[in-house]
This record gives sequence, C-alpha cells and structure tokens, in this order.
Amino acid sequence: MNLKDISTSVPKKDHKGKVSGQLPYISDVKVENMVYGVLYRSPIAYGKIISIQLPNLPDGYEAVGAEHIPGPNYVKIIKEDQPIFANEWVNYIGEPILMLTGKDLDILYSLLNEVKVEFEEHQAIYTLDEAIKQKSVSLVLASYEFGESLENISAIEQGAHQIIEEEYDTGYQEHVYLEPQGMLAVYKDDEIVVQGSMQCLYYIKNALLSALACGDDEVRVVQSPTGGGFGGKEDYPSMMACHVAVAARAVKKSVMLVFDRSEDMLVTTKRHPAKLKYRTALDKEGNILSMYVDIFLDGGANVGLSSVVLQRALLNSAGVYKIPHFHAKGYVLKTNTVPNGAFRGFGAPQSFAGIESHIGHLSKLAKIDPLAYKRKYLVKQGDPTITKGKFRDPILVEEMIEDVLNVSEYKKKKEDFQRLNQQNQRYKKGIGTSLFLHGCGFTGSGERDHIKAKVKLVKSKDDQVSLKISNSDMGQGILTTLCKIVAKELNLPFEDILYPYPDTKEVPDSGPTVASRTTMIVGKLLERAAKKLKNQWQTGVEQEVVEHYVHREMIPWDEKTFTGDAYPAYSWGVNIVEVEVDTLTGNLKLEKVYGNYEVGKVIDERIMKGQIDGGLAQGLAYGYLEKMTSKQGRIQQKSISDYGPPTSLDIVSIESKVFDNPYADGPYGAKGAGELTLIGGAPAVQAAIEDALHTSFQQIPITPEVIIESLWMKEGEEG
Amino acid sequence: MIEKITAYRFERLDETLSQLNREDCAIIAGGTDVMVLHKSRRGVPPKIPKPIVFINHLSELKQVYQHHKDLHIGACCTYSELLENPLIPFALKNAIKTIAAPAIRNRGTLGGNICNASPAGDMLPLLYVYNAKLLLRSVNGDRMVAISDFIQGPRQVQRFHNEMVTEIILPFVLGDSHVVFEKVGNRNADTIAKVSFAGFVRISKDRIDDIRFAFGAVGPTMVRSIDIEKKLIGKTIPLADADIAEIVAAFDKIIRPIDDQRSTAAYRKTVALHLLRYFLSMKQYQPN
Ligand SMILES: Cc1cc2nc3c(=O)[nH]c(=O)nc-3n(C[C@H](O)[C@H](O)[C@H](O)COP(=O)(O)OP(=O)(O)OC[C@H]3O[C@@H](n4cnc5c(N)ncnc54)[C@H](O)[C@@H]3O)c2cc1C
Repeated sequence: MNLKDISTSVPKKDHKGKVSGQLPYISDVKVENMVYGVLYRSPIAYGKIISIQLPNLPDGYEAVGAEHIPGPNYVKIIKEDQPIFANEWVNYIGEPILMLTGKDLDILYSLLNEVKVEFEEHQAIYTLDEAIKQKSVSLVLASYEFGESLENISAIEQGAHQIIEEEYDTGYQEHVYLEPQGMLAVYKDDEIVVQGSMQCLYYIKNALLSALACGDDEVRVVQSPTGGGFGGKEDYPSMMACHVAVAARAVKKSVMLVFDRSEDMLVTTKRHPAKLKYRTALDKEGNILSMYVDIFLDGGANVGLSSVVLQRALLNSAGVYKIPHFHAKGYVLKTNTVPNGAFRGFGAPQSFAGIESHIGHLSKLAKIDPLAYKRKYLVKQGDPTITKGKFRDPILVEEMIEDVLNVSEYKKKKEDFQRLNQQNQRYKKGIGTSLFLHGCGFTGSGERDHIKAKVKLVKSKDDQVSLKISNSDMGQGILTTLCKIVAKELNLPFEDILYPYPDTKEVPDSGPTVASRTTMIVGKLLERAAKKLKNQWQTGVEQEVVEHYVHREMIPWDEKTFTGDAYPAYSWGVNIVEVEVDTLTGNLKLEKVYGNYEVGKVIDERIMKGQIDGGLAQGLAYGYLEKMTSKQGRIQQKSISDYGPPTSLDIVSIESKVFDNPYADGPYGAKGAGELTLIGGAPAVQAAIEDALHTSFQQIPITPEVIIESLWMKEGEEG
Repeated sequence: MIEKITAYRFERLDETLSQLNREDCAIIAGGTDVMVLHKSRRGVPPKIPKPIVFINHLSELKQVYQHHKDLHIGACCTYSELLENPLIPFALKNAIKTIAAPAIRNRGTLGGNICNASPAGDMLPLLYVYNAKLLLRSVNGDRMVAISDFIQGPRQVQRFHNEMVTEIILPFVLGDSHVVFEKVGNRNADTIAKVSFAGFVRISKDRIDDIRFAFGAVGPTMVRSIDIEKKLIGKTIPLADADIAEIVAAFDKIIRPIDDQRSTAAYRKTVALHLLRYFLSMKQYQPN
C-alpha cells in the first residue's frame, strides 16, 4: 500500500456489504435442521425455585434446562456465580431458567406462557442505596482500597481550612447496539459450531469448553457480522452461547436464539449505576490539600466482570489530576437486578463524571474559572500515577486545551453568554469543559498474565495475506485498520490483505476485542508479524508467521496493593460543549461540541472520526439524555423511544482534531481510541448546564426532570 | 404455522363503506399505530383480530380544500403531504415537524392520529384549539362531530364500526390569530410527548376576543376548559399578573398527570403550567 501517511482514509472493507444491506447478520441465517430457542425467565427478583411444571410439548418441541448441562452450571467468566440455567435460586427478574426449542416461534411463545414455576420468594434488594445501607459483607462482590494512609489524610483534614463532602450518582446506560444479541449453535455429530454477534471469541470458547465439558476440537466459535457491541457483546454472549450449545447438544439440532429489542433491553447487561463520594480538604485559597474517594458500583445479581470494572473506576478516580494525598476505596455491591457488565469506558465514565463534577464545584468555591482551576492540577510527563506508576510519555493536554480554547472562543463565549442570559428569561446558554484520559489495554499485567495474545499471518500461493486473529469488527473498523497496517508494512495493495470473520478453528487467541487494546496491542503484533513475513517473503509459496505478545517491563502492577503501572500508555482528550437550556421545560439543546484528542497516531482518519462522533454522542447522551430506571427489580424502559438515545436532530456536528504523539509500542505509534471518545461527553455537558443555570448538580443524567426540580427548589430558596 | 388473514383494498370509498357496513373490520390508513399495537414478539407477524380494510390509497380521502372559508383536510393525507400543502396553517406544520421522523411521516395520516386517540397524539392539542370537526361517513350518510366529543379516552373514539372519518374540518377563524404548539419529549425526533401545549389567541385593539388552550399527555384526553378560557375574554394585553395567576391556578386544579417510564407527574404538571404562564405572559402576539 502506497499511502504517504497511514492516517489517510481508505474505503472500509465492509462498506459495500453494509451499505447495500447484503451482509447477513446472525438473525438472517438459516441452517438445515434448525429450531428456535426461547427462554423462560424468572418473573421474580429473588427466591428459591420449588418446582417447575412444563406444559405438554407437541412433537418436535423440547425443554432444555440445568439437567442438560454436561459440565458445571455456570457461565465461565471470572467467578463461578452465574448459572447458565438457574435451577435453585433466582437472583433477578429475567434470569433464564430453561429453554424451549422448536420450529415455530409462535407456538414456542404460547408454550412459554404455560410453563409454571413455583417459587419461594425472598426479600430482594432493588437499589444500590439499599445495598449500601445494609452494610452487609455478603453483598460485597468485590472491593479494593489504595492510596495514602488514612492517618495522613485525617491529619491533613484536621489542619485544613475547609472540608468539602459531595455525593454523586450516575445512572444505568444501555448499549443500544443496532443489532440485538443473537447466537446460533450449529449441531454436528462431532462438533458444535457457535456463531453470532460477539466481541470475544475465546471468552465464548472457554465458556463452552466448561459448560459442555468437552474437548478442544468439539466446539468452535465463529463471529458473524456484528452490528455494534460497545461492551455489550463482551460478556453477555458467553451466556447465550452456553444456552444454544447446551440445547443443541440436548436436542441434537441446530438452535437459534435471537432477542428482539425489548427482550434485549430488559435482560442484557448495562453500565453499572454508581455512587461516588468525595471528601476533600482545602486551604484558605481553595487549593486541594487531600482527597478521599469512595466508589460504589451496582453489580446487579452477579459479579461477572464487575471487579475489573471497579478497578478501572478506581484507577480513574482522580481524573487527569495530580492530587496531593489521595486515597480511594471501592466496592461492587450485589442487588437483585439485571447483572451489569462491560460498557465502553468500563468504569471510567462514572469516575470521570464524578471527579470532573467535583473539581468543577471546588473551582466555584475558589472563585476560579473551572478550566483554570483544573489546569493547576493537570498531570505532567514524569508525574506519578495515583497507584505509584508513572506517566512516561509526553502529555500534550496543555496544547490541546490552548487549541480548543482558541477554536471555540471560550473566553468570549463565556462573556457573551452572561450577557445573553440576562436578556433572555427563557433560554440560558452555557459552556463547559472536560479533561480526561483513558488507559489503553488491559489493566496491569493482564496482557502478560491472562491474555498472552498471539497473532498469525497466512500467505497463500497467490500471495494474498490473511489475518488470523480472534478480534471482532463490530463496526469500529478493525477489518480496515488492521489490514492497512499489514498492507503498509508489506507494501502490498490493501485489497490483497484479507481478514475473514474469525473462526477459532483457524485463528489463535489474540485476545478479546475490548479495553481499547485491539489497534495498539494486536495491531502492533500484526505489524511485527508483517515485518517478519516481509523478511522471509517467497513469491508463490504458502507461508505462515506467528507473533507473541511481549511485555514491556515497567513498574510491576500488584493487584493486592493496587500499586504499579496500571496501563502501558494513556490516550487523552479535551471537550468543550455549549448548550442552551429551556428553563420552562428543562430541555437541553446542544449548540456546539468540540473535541481534541491524542491517541498516539491515527490509523484511519475517517474511522477515527467515526469513533469521535459516535463516542461523543454516546457520552453526551449519558450526561443528559439517556435514562434507564429499574423499579422493584424491573427495567422500565424497554423500547428505544422510551430510553431515548440521541437522534441526528439531537447531536450537532462535532468539531474535532487529533494530535500526533506516536507511542513506541503501538503500530505506527497508535494507542487506544475507542473508549476515550465517550468519556468526556457527560462531564462537559454537566459543566455547560451548570454554567447556564448557575446551579450545581450531583448526578447524571441531568434530565429535564432533574433540571426543573432544581430550578423549582432554587426559586423556592430565592423567594 | 401460516395464519390466514382477510384484507380488503377497494378502488372507491363507497365500496369500502359498504364492506364496513357488512363486516366489522380493522381500518388501516398508514398503519403506523395499528402495526405497533398488534405487534408480536420477534419472528411472529402481528395479530390483528379482524379483517383488514386498507384506506390510504383512496383519493376521496386525500383532498385538501377550502369551503366557505373552512379548511377541509382529507383523513388520509400523510404528514409529508400536509407539510407540502400551502393551505395548511404554519402552526400545524410546525407540529407535524415534531412528529416521528421522515419515514413515519411518509405513512402516518392525520385521520390515523385522531382515531388512535392517544393521550400523547401530537396533532390533537392544536386540533382542539382550532375547534376541529370531523366528518364521519357511512352507507347511511354523513355526520359531523366536534373532535372533543369524538375522542372519549385513550384509544376510545365515538365511531360506529360502519363509519369512517373522511375529513377533518378546521372552521374559519376571524381576523388575525396567534397560535403556538410546544411539544416536550425526551429527544428531538422519534419521541412520544411527555407534555404538550397548544395556545390560540385572537386580539383586537389590545383586547382578547378569543383564547383557547389545550394540553396533551397530561390526562386521558386533551385537557381543555372553555370555562377557564372565558375568564380572559375582553381582558387587555399584556395581562395583569393576578389574571395570569388565576388562570394558572385554575388549570393547576384540573391537570392530573401520571408517573410513567417516560416522566413524572410532577414534571408534567410543572411544565404544562410553565408553558401556559409563558403564553399568557407574552407582551404581544404576532399573528401567524
Ligand atoms: C416510530 C413511530 C413514531 C411515532 N411518532 C409519533 C409522534 O411523534 N407523534 C404522534 O402523535 N404519533 C406518533 N406515532 C404514531 C402514529 O404515527 C400517528 O398516530 C399517525 O398519525 C397514525 O396514522 P396512521 O395513518 O398510520 O394510523 P393507522 O395505524 O393506520 O390507524 C390508527 C387508528 O386509527 C384508525 N383509523 C385510521 N384512519 C381512519 C379513518 N379515516 N377513519 C376511521 N378510523 C381510522 C385505525 O383503525 C386505527 O385504529 C409514531 C409511530 C411510530 C411507529
């Protein structure tokens, strides 16, 4: 490939299939001897199953439950606490108890209505607040604590001029991937092939090896074109894969399980609701002396990936700031609600919303412009991280801030808005900023100890090169970017590089498609593999090269003490958001959105722009628009319109820029970019709303309901 | 399992009406409410319990014309068609632009919005303040009903099964009137109203000749009160604070919204009253 600069955009590999509508997703697939599966789900939030009574099943219709699972009855993720089919206790509304299979969905739905399960109901815990109040160890699914000793912190607090305490709440977020979850198990005598919408082929394969208690060559996992993931297809598909595979084994037929939107919204994982508590000691001028942070995540009914989400939440609890004397503690608590799981940002969006809000409020106390106050504490190259790691690489945030201040005319707008707001009783304008980072790749030594990524390049006789990796393109564009890296390295036309949808029979485990690791880690391995292949290149000969992950030793990560380098590298971002708030309705109009980012090196400009625009839309919406609630353990919003993700009329065009800062261990200098772009949206929107209304908020999403209530309370106070 | 359904699609309105007279049918205009109402779970077609009659191709139901200065709108005009029609008042067009998104606006009809009688139907507040009348036709002839009499409750309308709404009539309004519509949803497109408000006022020489309000999504049907409106007739603009307070207090008593997955009763009520107060506080009203 002859691009001068790798960043120059090329047509996406999957462009035609998607634009023409020809690309078949899993729900489009039909195979011979296929039946559908439908799940009987727990109607109660917490209780014991006493008995199960099945209706008379017509010919060709069968029931599959825990008794059909050859291996242990749990979905292998981290802990063994999530049953494949609940058979003793149910822990949330919607928990799968059994599956009915058969040819006709209509008949299956009516049979489902006739299943009778008797429960002994127990008192459920429905909310994070209830779980916190209970103070029961049995509800703690995970916890970590780190930072400066509490004696030091309290000594500083005693000498402080003022101590500020704040409590901040963040809500659910739903992924709303365009394609709902779907999984098919193709039954063969000697093999079960599971295919579907997924991010992590080997997570699924490992879960299947455990559930089916079978040999490595008896299961195979194949990714189908995946219409969006956002983390929602990181952990959840493992459970669905177990359902269809166990069922296929039991009924000796291929089994298809596909959710419609409402089932998907009601039962699949969401972003963890969180409560964050800050206690900060200040001196007379409002300077920060110390900070103590408590984080509580609502894990839902089982731990799943929550412990790792909590780690990332904690690692980001001080934001992009160097806080003197910092201490943090975090818990995942169990509630009898839908399990929460991976979601773009993975704990960081909660933490950044909280810390940016808190620092913003501290700046008001100090009577300093929020951005000026934030800049006083900005970390610099060479500074330690809060876990005694180190920010090794150059940090460009100051330049990025200066640039976006100019482009947005921040100072002028602040003044203009003040004036305009005095003239306009109904509509109030505001401008807000956020500063953020994202640690790229797995936390700590995860890449070295758990993932151990391996990639393969295979060259055919006609000199076409195929990528053999287990990573999923879910719309983010790796079919294109990873091929570009290999094409450029081999100096071959982009079209000659193939990246077939991965199949575990063909591809080694290059790790899951998560944690903003794919371009940086897998891309780097591919770059190295391509170099190797180039050196050995023999025209017209089949060739194969393999590359293994090599760990760059830094300050070793210790999960117990929570110290060391949590990430090999960081990507950075600055957002500025302008809003107009309708004080009669609380409705918000985004007027302008700016984003400056630093992701090492961009591999494809258009794809990066897609990540920026999409990530920001999702992040902004997390701050003011998307609202999901659970009542007595039941999710209330089961349609897209009730939940309200942004439409093209809600988002304005986003002015963005990406700064080059090549990273030695990324391909062409690239770092992670996928999650970063979401993180700054919510805090910037909150800051803008606060600027418009001169009010502080202690939660996201800041919905019109929240705004109206706060304006009403303010009115009450003022007269 | 293939289920048989009967569906009729006649060339002419009279044939359609004869069929409706013979048999109780489900009328489908654009189908954008019917199909959602009868939606099944994934992979199963919608279940409509009656034979279907399609009507949205009938040219008799797609006319827009003026007659004795009243505006007649064919029940099966789609939103997209109405947006393009020069006879349609601006206020109504603005309301149409808040409905759904272009694809649904290409199918959804004005008649469908009325007959679906949703508490959150976005055409309804304006039609109430325009004092819209509906022309209902059956094999036995025509009858005219005020929209506020026609709509009885959520999805309940006063229609005999052999009847069809053929026209929506907006009576002529004397002089210059100022009409507003505000829809409050959770986002800017494809959203169901959490609250909506329509206001209508006609002023002559600083005095209120006529004033009307309707609120949507805050009760089983649109909330309108002629008694409260009457209190303002003859008052001068701008209204005194005490008058505004009296009207707001009167609506405060009759607006009784609910909590649901989309919003709270408290929010709905507060915002409804805010929008009313804002309308009443205007220093001047531009005719539109
Ligand atoms: C995605 C989506 C978004 C939407 N957004 C909005 C929105 O923002 N605001 C809003 O108000 N609505 C919205 N709707 C609802 C719907 O589009 C409107 O109510 C539309 O006007 C219905 O018209 P239709 O022709 O499709 O009705 P249909 O579904 O064909 O009919 C609706 C009802 O009216 C009856 N009917 C229709 N025409 C006649 C007639 N001439 N005589 C007698 N009975 C009749 C039918 O039998 C049925 O009971 C939305 C719907 C969808 C699917």
